[in-house]
Amino acid sequence: MGRAIVITSGKGGVGKTTVTANVGASLAKLGKKVVVADMDIGLRNLDVVMGLENRVVYNIMDIVEGRCKISQALVREKHLSNLFLLPASQMHTKEDVDIEAINEIISIIKENFDYVLLDSPAGIENGFRSAAAPATEALIVVTPDVSSVRDADRVVGLLENNGIEGISLIINRYDPNLVAKRKTLDKDDIIDVLGLDLIGVIPEDKEIIDSENRGEILSIVGKSLSVQSFDNIAKRIEGEDVPFLEIPKEKRGFLDLFRRK
Amino acid sequence: MSWFSRKHTDEIAKERLKLILVQDRSLLSPSVLNELKEDILKVINRYVEVGESDISIDIRRETHKTILEAVVPVKGVKKS
Repeated sequence: MGRAIVITSGKGGVGKTTVTANVGASLAKLGKKVVVADMDIGLRNLDVVMGLENRVVYNIMDIVEGRCKISQALVREKHLSNLFLLPASQMHTKEDVDIEAINEIISIIKENFDYVLLDSPAGIENGFRSAAAPATEALIVVTPDVSSVRDADRVVGLLENNGIEGISLIINRYDPNLVAKRKTLDKDDIIDVLGLDLIGVIPEDKEIIDSENRGEILSIVGKSLSVQSFDNIAKRIEGEDVPFLEIPKEKRGFLDLFRRK
Repeated sequence: MSWFSRKHTDEIAKERLKLILVQDRSLLSPSVLNELKEDILKVINRYVEVGESDISIDIRRETHKTILEAVVPVKGVKKS
């Protein structure tokens, strides 16, 4: 029996979809059978982030409405034979979603896979609820800013009320240069305020933007520090005790000493 | 603002965040909170002497649970 984990944040634009694709790929690199499910009905993106948009035939609503079998909707990733995408429907709205039916589909997938990662839409309405309902664990993604952390706190409350117990924190787009200049929240401040267990810090990384625009998952094709962060998150999900990476500041040249920071 | 006395952004951000979360997390409206305070005072006053307005209530979250903490300074023990 596999584990269903919802990736959520409350606020949009903090990197839920990127985290879902990359952590999913890192788990698959460990040999696990993984489905990443796009739960953003009406605004699907996970297919694009994974570069699989041309291979999508059926989607989760086709399963719900009886037009295909679960196995027909799953799209195999290009490089990893044990990583699959369950696409969202683009033609429906979040109000069309029947939470019971989604629950049933995910529980059937869990029987055949080690992990189902549910990429939640932004917000706390029906879309979020149907993404969280099949999950027993959650990864909360925040960026180091006040509004993102505030929204995460709200989501944590909702998840706890719904009986989700294993809630872990991922801090995304962490810029050690800004932290060193004390221009943004430190990771320890965020952990302290939210009272959650940290499972990973992902450094700000331009390679992520580049690979997403190319339709490749960085943790499969890349080598940068953020890839190590994603791999470490996967290992921690697997229960391994991995020390946290020291994220180095950008190296500055001698001339930079004279530049105003 | 003077360059030297300027507070660091991270400190300002954390203070703002803490205040926002106190408001977001408070499950009770101010009037209900006052009723709660009065009731707690009444009950505790049966056993020990407490000041009328000295009670402070804080709602905060730790991992997996929300905690309501009431701090009540005690003046003395009641003699029965």
